[in-house]
Amino acid sequence: MTTNTVYKEVLMDHYRNPRNFSDVSQSEAVHRGSNPRCGDDIKIGVDFDGDNIGKIVFQGRGCSVCMASASMMTESVTGASKNEVLELTEQLREWFDEKQGDTPAPLETLFALDALRQYPARRRCVLLAWDALESIIQVE
Amino acid sequence: MSTNPYIKQTFNIQKQSQLIRKDFPLLNLYSGDNQLHYLDNAATSQKPQQVIDAISDCYQRVNAPVHRGLYALADESTTTYEKSRKKVAQFIGAPQSEQLIFTLSATESINMVAQGWLKHHLNAGDKVWVTGMEHHANLVPWQRVCKETGAELCFIELTEDGSLDLDNATELYSEKTRFIAMSHVSNVLGVINPVKEVTQRAAQAGIPVLIDATQSVGHIPVDVVELDCDFLAFSAHKMYGPTGIGALYGKADKLATMEPMLLGGGMVDEVGDYESSWASLPSKLEAGSPNLAGAIGFASAVDYIESIGLQTIESIVSELTEKALFALSNINGIKIYGPLDSERREGIISFNLDGIHPHDIAQIAGESNVAIRSGHHCCQPLMRRLGEVATVRASFAPYNIEEEINALLEVIETAQSIFMPR
Repeated sequence: MTTNTVYKEVLMDHYRNPRNFSDVSQSEAVHRGSNPRCGDDIKIGVDFDGDNIGKIVFQGRGCSVCMASASMMTESVTGASKNEVLELTEQLREWFDEKQGDTPAPLETLFALDALRQYPARRRCVLLAWDALESIIQVE
Repeated sequence: MSTNPYIKQTFNIQKQSQLIRKDFPLLNLYSGDNQLHYLDNAATSQKPQQVIDAISDCYQRVNAPVHRGLYALADESTTTYEKSRKKVAQFIGAPQSEQLIFTLSATESINMVAQGWLKHHLNAGDKVWVTGMEHHANLVPWQRVCKETGAELCFIELTEDGSLDLDNATELYSEKTRFIAMSHVSNVLGVINPVKEVTQRAAQAGIPVLIDATQSVGHIPVDVVELDCDFLAFSAHKMYGPTGIGALYGKADKLATMEPMLLGGGMVDEVGDYESSWASLPSKLEAGSPNLAGAIGFASAVDYIESIGLQTIESIVSELTEKALFALSNINGIKIYGPLDSERREGIISFNLDGIHPHDIAQIAGESNVAIRSGHHCCQPLMRRLGEVATVRASFAPYNIEEEINALLEVIETAQSIFMPR
């Protein structure tokens, strides 16, 4: 597998043009995720709409994988219920830990992460945003 | 091609690296397109066959408890262990073998000094000095001992080019200063610190100095008498020896007044039901069954270095560093940390590229079998001072060859083409 396939166009697009990347200070609930090992440091902000994610934004800085994963996450979970998000997070973890194989990504919008499953060292980068969102929901 | 002042006649040096490389079986596992370009030597070095054989020989021929048996084999294991101590002690110029304590790591060595010595010599209001470029191992132990005693931790800051700003550390040798801990060579900036200058002035003021020599022993000459340091910590695995063993050197009076951190077998003199007394040095500070194979591996790493010659190692690494610095500094959008003058540097180069996260560069490098490091390198306070969260680091050993610099340059080009398309 070559570098170019890892940094698939989709990942790079999310990295270069992160979706829902904005100030989290106005959000109802905020959680920081940081990985001191590589210096990824992001904040996730959520406004709930009843039991669902109404609006989700993120800010901070990190490697391409961390930023792209956070960006994809915001697109994937908007409108989803808390339980759906928790389930999806768990599925994503399991899928990622499988490392290889034909199992498709838990959501079509996350397929580009497939290229990273063979790099256990990037696990934390991929999951950082998801862990932070999970913490927000668990506190709610 | 125009004459480039940075490219010297290097035929012999190249040839020497190639020869040295042959001693390292792990590097020779890979060939052709899969060749491993191991440029993560500041994290841990690879091990030559000579060291691997010495460790293997220990288990095949010498293994028996050290300092505990009365049979011939136990005698031999004890003698070999103590010979290894002597070898390592002599390598750093320690006047007596007993001044060289085998530890688990340089980290343990430093912790032993913080908790076993400094803690008993510190009072509230006293000052302990470190530098802004310390590895966490030479910082966090001092943070704790200062918290525990109410002493103040002070920092020698850095100049723009990443040198120590000794001129502005005006209180460094003040009456309140009880201890100075500093690295000989920064594991991020590669800069060689003027430790002698500090120990000289500290000695006049009666202030003990610990030198973290993890990046210097085995790479540049280190002589504890010449440096006149009170303590010196280093480890085997960064100088072609095994992991799991380090060393602490101390001046005799300092070690004599040091309380052992670990208590148990081997470090005691007499053990009563409620009280015990300690053995003499070095046993007092080496509780538990000694790491015989580790000590043998450590000593054989010293033998290996001596067989090549420290000077040869230095000149190969400095040649590579000079070339890499020159090539890297010509790249658009690169920022190299630390002084660019290769005379004041070891074979460690940290850098960042505009718009590319160090992690991404390291992964792209990994895919081309170029092993470099990205991250904060256990130096978060230094990263804050540099205004970065992380850097990319390439570090050289005498088995590295010039084409590995080219491999690094290619990786950078690839990374730039992916992340910064023209």
